[in-house]
Amino acid sequence: MLRISDLGYQYPHSDKPALDGISLKAERGQVLGLLGPNGAGKTTLISHLAGLLPIQRGQILIDDVPLASVRDVAPTRIAVAPQEYAFYPALSVRENLQCFGAASRLSKKQNETRIAQSLAFTQLERFAGTRAARLSGGLKRRLNLAIALLPSPELVLFDEPTVGVDPQSRAFILDAVKTLAREGTAVIYTTHYMEEIEAIADHAVIMDHGKVLRDGTLTDLLSEGAARLRLIVKNMTPDTVRAQLATVGTTRIEGEYIVVTLNEGISPATAIAAAESAGARIEQLDYGHYNLEHLFMALTQRSLRDE
Amino acid sequence: MTQVHILFALIRKELMVLLRDVNALASLFFMPILFIIIMSLALKDIYSPPVRGQAYALDVRDKGALADEFVQRWIALRGAPQATPTAPREALRSGALRYIVTIEPTFSEVLSAPNTPSGIQVRLLADPALNISLFSATQAELSGLIGEIRAEALQDRFTGISTKGGQAIRLLVSAERLSLGMHPTAVQQNVPAWLIFGMFFVVNAIANLLVQEHDNGTLARLLTLGVSPGVQLLSKGLPYLIVNAVQAALMLAVGIWLMPLLGGDGLSLAGIHWGSLILLLFTLSIAAVGMALALASVIRTHAQASTIGPILNVLMAALGGVMVPVAIMPTTMQTIAAYSPMNWGLEGLLAVLLRHASPTEILPQALALTGFGAAMLLAAVILFKRRTR
Repeated sequence: MLRISDLGYQYPHSDKPALDGISLKAERGQVLGLLGPNGAGKTTLISHLAGLLPIQRGQILIDDVPLASVRDVAPTRIAVAPQEYAFYPALSVRENLQCFGAASRLSKKQNETRIAQSLAFTQLERFAGTRAARLSGGLKRRLNLAIALLPSPELVLFDEPTVGVDPQSRAFILDAVKTLAREGTAVIYTTHYMEEIEAIADHAVIMDHGKVLRDGTLTDLLSEGAARLRLIVKNMTPDTVRAQLATVGTTRIEGEYIVVTLNEGISPATAIAAAESAGARIEQLDYGHYNLEHLFMALTQRSLRDE
Repeated sequence: MTQVHILFALIRKELMVLLRDVNALASLFFMPILFIIIMSLALKDIYSPPVRGQAYALDVRDKGALADEFVQRWIALRGAPQATPTAPREALRSGALRYIVTIEPTFSEVLSAPNTPSGIQVRLLADPALNISLFSATQAELSGLIGEIRAEALQDRFTGISTKGGQAIRLLVSAERLSLGMHPTAVQQNVPAWLIFGMFFVVNAIANLLVQEHDNGTLARLLTLGVSPGVQLLSKGLPYLIVNAVQAALMLAVGIWLMPLLGGDGLSLAGIHWGSLILLLFTLSIAAVGMALALASVIRTHAQASTIGPILNVLMAALGGVMVPVAIMPTTMQTIAAYSPMNWGLEGLLAVLLRHASPTEILPQALALTGFGAAMLLAAVILFKRRTR
């Protein structure tokens, strides 16, 4: 459904690009998780898709039609559930929905129908008459979602929708995202929290410094570097240990760890034996598959929550 | 749904939000009304100084008939005097008396002599805080009364025809200040002035609104839905034209009905050209809302909105003759005032209210206000587009 090719963007007065050759795709019925720390370029990418930034380089296609043309004809095919509470606090939940429904070009009748459906989907029916300012943080997030869903968009962009919400509301939002995808909507979901991506995404893209570092199905990404051994050795220099382990896999230094990605057919026991036979006294080790945070750290040398 | 339908939905939203914002309502409606009431009552005496009722004393040192005649007539004009103080200057400085008239011992003798009178015969000593208009009026009235008494005395002496008590000299003069049925009062001057000031209060309200909606992402959300910047700006501006209309109606009502109840003069709209009033208020509103939208499009924070808007409003009011009448400004300041939109509005409104000007007569002011408003709106669209990028 969505194809982005070689997208580049540099803000005025900035000396480096916010997006640098981004290419990715999203399909209907799937959740594309967009992972990256602050400054990775996620919001800039979302802003492009929302039509808030002009395309400087590259191309964005929706069903093979340029985004600008799609937005000219039917801007509501793409909806954004932003990080901010993007509604009017002085208005009630229903009044907000009526206003944004009208702004979404829904007729009065369509608007009423869609308001009822959105309220039901986000379970906000009993708060319909409540002023938005008086809602809890979790309910405000749901109202944000309800507004985004009013025009029945084909692509929904979630920009860190769970920041600052309680676990219950977070679970609700994640469920809602999965339901949307099940119903055939394409979803792009940006977050800092890799456990959310692991929970809901079919496909994940890891970004940093405006570039895509890794792009693949969640299964592929998590199985990447499947056999990985991490050691801490105190009585030898890391370079000596790495030389001894060169026969069992590829090595690199990650903090005080020596990380060995084992060659096919090599068991962890073989690798440990190789190190010990060279005189290494192993003080600590762990073995296992990547989770997204490990993968991200391996790719960027920094934690996802780093500023 | 067309952009027009979207516009109406957003205008409805804007009015609902405004009606629920007590602070905005207070600043848009209550504050200007309060200004009108306070300023009209405070400046009441500037436009109609109360010559009677001012505490004064007479120090009559002449026992002659003309001095006696003078005292009787002065009391008839200004009411009964207070007792003559033993320390006149202290009584004036303390504010116990507003002025003291001293009749010198030779008053009757000098005034009835046929030769040219000389020497001070009457002294006026006034409280330093006495209104300058009142001081001048008292001085002029003293001179007039003395002249009258002398003329009568001489006529009586040389012709034997007595005209005492006829006040013949003053009857020779007719003084009228053209006002088409009403005299300029503090209310007449202040209602237009503070009405204009109040209408420009929308600068602050609109600027805060745009900052808030930019910060909370609703502006971006509307853009994402394909609502054009022009429609967004119009949806902010049009409700404030309604706000301006309500402000004008309220403030005129205050002048007409509330001010007399508070002891002030009443505003009169009798005989005015309603077309002129509506034209001028409408073009004023376009200027105010246009400027508000342009400023709101460059203001980035609530702190800026809360300071820049009011400061600009006060500066424009000071330059435009709202706070200080342009007529008493130095020439340079009057030249500057001629470029102020508030001054265009004020001149036009005074022409409508005091001179019953026709729409043609206030066309220069209406065109200037419309041109200013249009230029500001154009600037607002450009700046707003830039801001939403």
